[in-house]
Amino acid sequence: MGKELLTAAAGETLLLLGNEAIARGTLEGGVRFVTCYPGTPSSEVPDTFFRMSQDAPYYFEYSVNEKVALEVGGGAALAGLPTLVTMKHVGVNVAADPLMTLAYVSAPGGLVLLSADDPGCHSSQNEQDNRIYARLGGLPCFEPATAQECKDMARDALLLSRRIENPVLLRTTTRVNHVRGPVTLGEMPQTPAEKPFAKNPPRFVPLPASARVMHERLLGILEAMQAEAETSPYNTESGSGDVGFISSGVARNYLHDVLEEDGLAGTVRVLDLGMTYPLPENRIAAFLAKCKKVMIVEELEPVLETEIRALAQKRGIAVEILGKGEHLPRRGEFSTVNVRLAVRNAMALDTPAPDTLSVPGDLPRRPPNLCAGCPHRAAYYAVREVYGDTAVYSSDIGCYTLGFLPPFQAADFLLCMGSSISTGAGFARASGKPVVAFIGDSTFFHSGITGLIDAVAYNHDILVVILDNRTTAMTGHQPNPGVDTTIFGENPNPVDLLALIRACGVEPVKVNPLNHKAMVSALTALSAKSGPRVLVAEYPCPIHAKRVGQAKKTLPARVAGDPAACLGVRDALACPAFAMVDGVFTINAEQCDGCMYCVQLSADIKPGKKEAR
Amino acid sequence: MNRARIFLTGVGGQGTLTATTLLARTALDAGIPVTSGEIHGMAQRGGVVESTLLLGGYKSAIIAPGEADVILGFELLETLRALPMLKRGGHVVGNSESIQPVGVCLGRECYPPLDQVLDTARGFAARVVMIPCISLAEQAGTAKAANTVLLGAAAACGALPFGVEALARSIEKYLKPKLVPVNRKALDLGAQAAQAGQAA
Repeated sequence: MGKELLTAAAGETLLLLGNEAIARGTLEGGVRFVTCYPGTPSSEVPDTFFRMSQDAPYYFEYSVNEKVALEVGGGAALAGLPTLVTMKHVGVNVAADPLMTLAYVSAPGGLVLLSADDPGCHSSQNEQDNRIYARLGGLPCFEPATAQECKDMARDALLLSRRIENPVLLRTTTRVNHVRGPVTLGEMPQTPAEKPFAKNPPRFVPLPASARVMHERLLGILEAMQAEAETSPYNTESGSGDVGFISSGVARNYLHDVLEEDGLAGTVRVLDLGMTYPLPENRIAAFLAKCKKVMIVEELEPVLETEIRALAQKRGIAVEILGKGEHLPRRGEFSTVNVRLAVRNAMALDTPAPDTLSVPGDLPRRPPNLCAGCPHRAAYYAVREVYGDTAVYSSDIGCYTLGFLPPFQAADFLLCMGSSISTGAGFARASGKPVVAFIGDSTFFHSGITGLIDAVAYNHDILVVILDNRTTAMTGHQPNPGVDTTIFGENPNPVDLLALIRACGVEPVKVNPLNHKAMVSALTALSAKSGPRVLVAEYPCPIHAKRVGQAKKTLPARVAGDPAACLGVRDALACPAFAMVDGVFTINAEQCDGCMYCVQLSADIKPGKKEAR
Repeated sequence: MNRARIFLTGVGGQGTLTATTLLARTALDAGIPVTSGEIHGMAQRGGVVESTLLLGGYKSAIIAPGEADVILGFELLETLRALPMLKRGGHVVGNSESIQPVGVCLGRECYPPLDQVLDTARGFAARVVMIPCISLAEQAGTAKAANTVLLGAAAACGALPFGVEALARSIEKYLKPKLVPVNRKALDLGAQAAQAGQAA
């Protein structure tokens, strides 16, 4: 999708990804300032803004991390601009410090924080439920379930935020970010009216005395928001009868499909909640009073359930409330299968056993793998050659986390973004064992650098290998402060990674990881030293290089000698271009990137023309 | 076909998501309500890529075991792996050719034979059509069009609520102009192969 989201007219219906719909929605809400740190499943929102950013009516940046993104965005909102800040759920942890005070300080221009949660851990280290952050930080919260709702709620969240001059949370989950559905567009607004900043330190500076006043103001806003939730068009009731269901987010889809398919639609009551904080207490109480039994259907934590149970107790409503349990677990994603079991159980209906085919459990697995030509493969191979199993490997978040898999097994522990250096340092200090920390360039800028400063300040004995592939590869090749090139050409203000490391107090050693001899010799020399050491393994991600037109044209590798003699290299590198055809080792010329790393390890592999498939 | 759940599965880089979007646009142009789901991120590093297309007014964008009216398998092993998603009486249209996973390549695991898909689905699926999509795509001009070959086969054997012509129109309308001829050819080769397979 090019600039269509900026130019398409009101009334047009486009097939949009949930994340594209969020981008359009905030544009319809008048967004003028967008910051983010990319992370699945949020990334297509900022990527859409980035692609359209030339001559666009908004400012856009991929910030250095989520905390910075929210602080920069918070500054823009203080200056009066309607602002969007996007991140994945665990990114909100990084941004939690400014977030917890943002609603005190307020956001006069309007600020929507997108938190893209990941139930089921499709591409995350945990499945935390960020609806809790809305409660903790005092942010009204919207939870869309369809592409159309992504668009509409993003718009209305931003308009609401600008009206109440306080931040609003737009909370999505993976299946909502990555749904694709028809979206009917609304009007694009005129340039929003200016909201010039008027100096007023007691309002904007949370010294203890003013913070107490700010907190009182915030609680007043939340009370007013509760009144608005009572009439919000996103909270709707349907059906009849004395069995009720209350649901929010993507779980609403499963609930409605089950009721429809099982012929129960209309015979039960359903309260759909789209604006889920503050809760419309009067409306929910009235709903509870009409039912004998109410089931709360929500993914992850019993957030609605706990508040609704408390509400029933406070209002003295005698209704049976069902929620988290066997069929509605606190972990993982829901589907029509578990929701059907829960619904039918609640209604004392039998559920027929599913009629499905079964396949052997031991089918070959297809784990994600480092791409053909990936410089991380070469870096891991060399580190393993020098350290083997004598070192403990502290890993971090990026494509290189895939070094976890055989044959490299170069990840022994991992906490979060940027933790490899600091956690590795602590482990080294406590265990006395050699530790190698792996971290990518973007992750180093994100939050690895503070760990390096600590390692220098306390002389931690750790070898840091910065896998610098000149991009943020895992999340879709977004630029980071260190990159030379983006899809729009040269980076005008690159941050010098080597100078930065030097300034921290370590003289870095820079090597091209695809040069096997140079890499092994650098690692051998570094392994003989102690204290904080940094090796920068720099080579561009081949996919990124192709995208920005900087890929070098090279021949693919081919088996020139004895295929049987190549099996050692096959097992050591596990490159996706390697294949066995009728039991004979071969290199797939279509897949081969021409990195020539295997050529350095085997005399039987040479650069050469295409082999027959 | 009033409502249908279509489960698509393949390997990162095969164009499974591109094919899903093309089908979704075709459905929308035919006036069929559509919701589609896909998973990004880790899955794209050569791992399994699964997506869904739900037609006719479903709200959910995911498909649970036993719910798929149609499985479109862009790779043989992944087609086999997805069979538990199939509803009794559903259709399987798959690529009979393989992309070796790393464990097979390293000789640690055995790639299943084509017959295993047919044997497993027999008596449960209404129809199983397996087409050599990569070879046919190469015949059309590029192996990258294997996804379009499969779509042609699926439309030709009646697994979709629209025909080959509707897909041809979508290719003209939604793909980059330079990709149109090769994809038109791939579509037709897939359709012919499916028809020949059914006749056989």
